[in-house]
Amino acid sequence: MITNSALHGIRVIDLSTSVSAAWCVRMLADFGADVALFEDADGHAARRLGPFDDAGNSVIAEYVLADRRSAILEFKSLEGISAVRAAVAGADVLVCSGTRGEMETFGLDFNSLLQLNPGIVICSITPHGSTGARSKHPGNDLTTAALSGWASINGLADKPPLKPSGLQSSYCAGTIAYGSIVSTLLARRKQTPLRGQFIDVSELEVMASTFGPALLTSQYQREPQPRKAKVDMSTGPVPVKDGHFALTISRPHFWRDAMNVLGLDDLAEDPRWGTSWYRKEHADEYVDRAQEKLAQWNKMDLFDTLAALRVIAGPVLETNELSENVHLEERGFFRTPENGGPQYPGPAFQMSATPAHLTQRAPGPGDHTAEVLRDFSGLDESDIDALLASGVAK
Amino acid sequence: MSGPLTGYRGIVLTQAWAGSYATQLLGMLGAEIIQVEFHGRPDSWRGSYDRPIPDTVADTPRATANQHPWNVNPLYNSVNLNKQCITLDLTDPAGVEIFKRLVPLADFVAENFAPRVLGNLGIDYEALRQIKTDIIVCSLSAFGNNGPWRDVPGIGGTIEPISGMSSLLGYEDGPPLNSGQMYPDAAAGLNGFAGIVTALMHREMTGEGQYVDLSMQESSLTFIGDALLEERMTGNVRGRRGNRHMTFAPHGIYATADNKWIALAAETANQWTDLCGVAGGDVWLEDGRFSNNAARKANEDALDAEISGWVAGHKRDDLAKRLSNAGVIAAPVLDAHEVASDETLRERGFIVEIDHPEAGTHPHSGIPVQFSGTPTVVSRHAPLQGQHTQEVLERLLGIEEDEYVDLVNRHITGAGPS
Repeated sequence: MITNSALHGIRVIDLSTSVSAAWCVRMLADFGADVALFEDADGHAARRLGPFDDAGNSVIAEYVLADRRSAILEFKSLEGISAVRAAVAGADVLVCSGTRGEMETFGLDFNSLLQLNPGIVICSITPHGSTGARSKHPGNDLTTAALSGWASINGLADKPPLKPSGLQSSYCAGTIAYGSIVSTLLARRKQTPLRGQFIDVSELEVMASTFGPALLTSQYQREPQPRKAKVDMSTGPVPVKDGHFALTISRPHFWRDAMNVLGLDDLAEDPRWGTSWYRKEHADEYVDRAQEKLAQWNKMDLFDTLAALRVIAGPVLETNELSENVHLEERGFFRTPENGGPQYPGPAFQMSATPAHLTQRAPGPGDHTAEVLRDFSGLDESDIDALLASGVAK
Repeated sequence: MSGPLTGYRGIVLTQAWAGSYATQLLGMLGAEIIQVEFHGRPDSWRGSYDRPIPDTVADTPRATANQHPWNVNPLYNSVNLNKQCITLDLTDPAGVEIFKRLVPLADFVAENFAPRVLGNLGIDYEALRQIKTDIIVCSLSAFGNNGPWRDVPGIGGTIEPISGMSSLLGYEDGPPLNSGQMYPDAAAGLNGFAGIVTALMHREMTGEGQYVDLSMQESSLTFIGDALLEERMTGNVRGRRGNRHMTFAPHGIYATADNKWIALAAETANQWTDLCGVAGGDVWLEDGRFSNNAARKANEDALDAEISGWVAGHKRDDLAKRLSNAGVIAAPVLDAHEVASDETLRERGFIVEIDHPEAGTHPHSGIPVQFSGTPTVVSRHAPLQGQHTQEVLERLLGIEEDEYVDLVNRHITGAGPS
């Protein structure tokens, strides 16, 4: 048993059906919580998200459902809900992907759960939160990108707005939900008797929070920030011999050293170019010249040269290049679960006393049904056998 | 203050976006956050001291006549709510001494300098734990505190490409792109917040502090972790997909009749049927190319062409409303001003009007989580540089006015250029 974990002893009921809530639970589990995932007979929704490996396993599910035990339970039956409620009675945290209203339709209204277990921390992670005009509207990473403002500034002005890649709203919301749950557990420790509460996380508001700098800049400028008219070296990656490279300079000495490396001595030595606002106002005077020089380099040669001078620089790396990255390897970033399986990336941060653990790859649906019903719901063997025989549990 | 973290205090050296956002989230949840800013070297998101003040900011009605460029930068002012700011010259032993007197009064220290900086100042984790054995120190750096790239600096604009994020962001036929604002900073801020509360939990359980080492590259990598795992599990190197989904179709952003944009998607058979219903006919439902999700995915170009043609005849807000009410995943693409004025975000208390003495009153992104038992509030505008130095030094260290004036005269503290 792992004991050097910050959340050792915390028991979590995972009723997630979304990637955001599943990611929140993944973090709780990585830092030591004991997690039971209850999924219905169709399996967690993440299991149906592509891409898939040759055996038909969802890559997304493999990533976000790791480090927990899985039970299959029929939620629409009284016996199934009863088993979930029994598990809630002995848990510290419940994470779900439904609003308060949606959970009530399953017989899991939050007030009654708090009566059942006054110390339970319930976290609902939904596209738009549990209240407000959008609470009943469906949403996903695409629509939260649209409503939060991110799509309006990503991409190019002459093309459609662009959502952040992949599942960014889900990972952001899952992470903030994780931090909010732990914060609530901290508050709960100071209370006698323990008092649980309801945490309402809106994926949209999390993304709008990360959009905060663009939102306020647009207010100060009295113009909404637009998408870029074009990409140049002041805003993003530009072509080099073998790919693309970002040289988005901040501090004056970065500028000086980078221009010297590119052989643009006049730009390096004139101190006016050292400030961001001056470069922005005079971009036409340097961008083409510098990009012409950049195009003569291979991306890692340029990165290594600039890194030796401690200049910020960003070669565009693809996933296969990152898998072979020496720096990440030395930091131990890719980890194999203790029970085998593919190497996973992570964690997002390293902790000296309570490192994240990756104890098991994502379970198959129902891999641990009997033991979850025993360990979390407190059922005895005959009750478990009855649930299995009736098909309520699988 | 209010919120679940009430009672905790951070003495933080955070700056720019990633570190500042992490500590802003902690402050929003109730922790007392005291930013220690280098006297004479402003937080990079305040901008340089000689930065011109734009006319749009100079013209804004405000409480004070005097404006200073370093106090009216929207970047700084957007990620430092619920904080106090003191300044110290940490290159001067007297400044470092005051910082070290503050550390025993803190639960955590956070910073996002390059890894060598704290050591050079004599205030790295090992030094600080000598002062307070259970201190938590969280460092957010470009590549983490060890490894061959430890001392390579980075910002969001360079971490985005070197973490693989840029290789995934872009149009299907286009080059890799960076986000419209340096997204890896936001990701690191969220993870820094998570790391610090995790360390607080461990300290509460055991009395033990620890060091949290956050690499912005790794933080970003975990947010595209499924793409990395895809390469490990299937050998496929994921490319750019525009707005398309890995599994579902339709899933895109389309131009509307009023020169705006709408996002719409169908993830279930019902949503597809409902979308067809709003579109007003059975044509798509009866089209074999779109008979199920697999068929729609295989014929996505044709599907997008059909939807683009239909959407182009409708106005954004009306169509988004009809689709959402019908149960289809749909939303208008809002620009920054529309987000700030969004009725629902305001009703839920997320968008808040904040009065800043030098910058005026503006809507801000507020607190992105609601707690039923420990409600939170935005109680402070982003601090003016050094706004709280005298008050904090007196309250926490008992430094009285004469001594404070002496510190100002010796340029150990103060606002603006030293």
